[in-house]
Amino acid sequence: MTTVLLQDVRKVYGGTQADVDALGPISFGIAKGETVSVVGPSGCGKSTLLRVIAGLDSATAGTVTVAGQLVSSPIGDVGIVFQRDLLLDWRSVIDNVLLPAELRRMDLSAARTRAMQLLAELGVADFALRYPWELSGGMRQRVAIARALLCKPSMLFLDEPFSALDALTRDQMNVILQQVQIHEGVTTLLITHSIQEAVFLADRVIVMSGRPGRTLDEIVVPFARPRRLSLREAPEFAAIAGRIRIHFERTGILVG
Amino acid sequence: MTAQEIKAEIKAGEQPSAFSPALAARRRAQARADRVAVFYPLASGVLGLAIWEAVVRILKMPPYLLPAPTHVLAETWLYLPMLLKQLGITAFAAGVGFAIALVGGVVAGAAITASRFVDRTLYPWLVIWHAIPKAVVAPLFIVWIGFGMTSEIIFVIVFTVFPIVVNTVTGLKSADPDLLLLVRSMGAERFQMLWKIRIPNALPSIFAGIKISATLAPVGAVIGEFVAANQGLGHLLIQAIGGLETPLAFAAVFVMAVFGIAIWYLTEAIERWTIPWHASQRGSVLGL
Repeated sequence: MTTVLLQDVRKVYGGTQADVDALGPISFGIAKGETVSVVGPSGCGKSTLLRVIAGLDSATAGTVTVAGQLVSSPIGDVGIVFQRDLLLDWRSVIDNVLLPAELRRMDLSAARTRAMQLLAELGVADFALRYPWELSGGMRQRVAIARALLCKPSMLFLDEPFSALDALTRDQMNVILQQVQIHEGVTTLLITHSIQEAVFLADRVIVMSGRPGRTLDEIVVPFARPRRLSLREAPEFAAIAGRIRIHFERTGILVG
Repeated sequence: MTAQEIKAEIKAGEQPSAFSPALAARRRAQARADRVAVFYPLASGVLGLAIWEAVVRILKMPPYLLPAPTHVLAETWLYLPMLLKQLGITAFAAGVGFAIALVGGVVAGAAITASRFVDRTLYPWLVIWHAIPKAVVAPLFIVWIGFGMTSEIIFVIVFTVFPIVVNTVTGLKSADPDLLLLVRSMGAERFQMLWKIRIPNALPSIFAGIKISATLAPVGAVIGEFVAANQGLGHLLIQAIGGLETPLAFAAVFVMAVFGIAIWYLTEAIERWTIPWHASQRGSVLGL
């Protein structure tokens, strides 16, 4: 069953000189429980795409529906993680995770139990009473993921969540994210510019062109979960990654 | 799970690191750094005063021209009750004026941030007012409001309000746009956004304004007293200088200086207590 559906979505930003075509027209769907990676070059409108689906930005043309509803304002049933963790410096880790429950005026003691479970699952429970600046970048991003999942959203949107982390931490985060994802059963939209990350985490990869971003290719990733990092060295994995890379080479984004 | 339970859980998992040799060494290094930090300013101060004392004694300067530090100290001691009484008056004017400037400044800053209309109409007036040398227009306050405490307090307000307004505006406008987007997706209402995000985010900046204004407030009160009062340290200063009682004038300045330093450290302490999470305060929190 399709929960997210985009039809001929376009985004045009009004500029001072001329209008800038930022995105589309682009159409695709995300099935319930599915993980879709969107991979594309910088400035192809990937982040705009995420914002439009989340209802944080409006499409210039076309329609976005989530769970059968036309999106026109911020959708509630989603947790978002940005590239920067955007934790609040003045709140401890646990209070940062509790923020969405607080803003929605939910029962905080139940939310606290849930928050501690999430932090434990993400391996940062020991830091619950610490402050964000006492944590490393990878740990901060784990807290941001816990915050996004607190209110049990059925969807998780990630906008280049691990781009600011070093390669090793990034691998580690991919494994942790996969684990939480399986456990929570969330429909996931992952925006990334790492081909490996896109393939490793997704059921389906959407390859986007340069600006204005359109679909170049859609590739189903058939590997069973949980996946191990060593999968990335498998020939089948390499074949999919290679197919994506060729798109970028052909359009001159990558020269190899 | 309550916060206490979480705390207990975490404590149980913690290493007894308080006895680690590395930590002990770091504490020793910190103690040494503290001693050095106290020693240099102290030595420099004592040396400066000694030179001043020596110059006055060797050149046999008359006290009405330049009193020696020991003379100033003796004078301060002699007139201490009177000086403290006058300081109380000045401090009262400064305190009341500053408190009104603080509340008014933060409210004005919030209004400027919230409304483009207020921003465009009020801000230029504030800037123009700030550009005027206020000490020069102080005598006008006698003409407008009359002689006395009210005049003095209003002068303190106009003297100190600008840094608070500007820093409040800067702080409230500096919230990360992505963060605001994120909390909007969490369903935050306008009021929650202000109260839970924008205001805490603005606090470090507001405190920067407070520190400037709190130290300006006694200065403003003294200038106000120069022209518009018949009491307070400013008035005493004018009287003492007029009567060539220079040691008493120096004693008044000395009391003012001590008071100013106390205000500075008080605001710093309040800042540390209010925003321990801010980058400027972190060292003190960790005890490193």
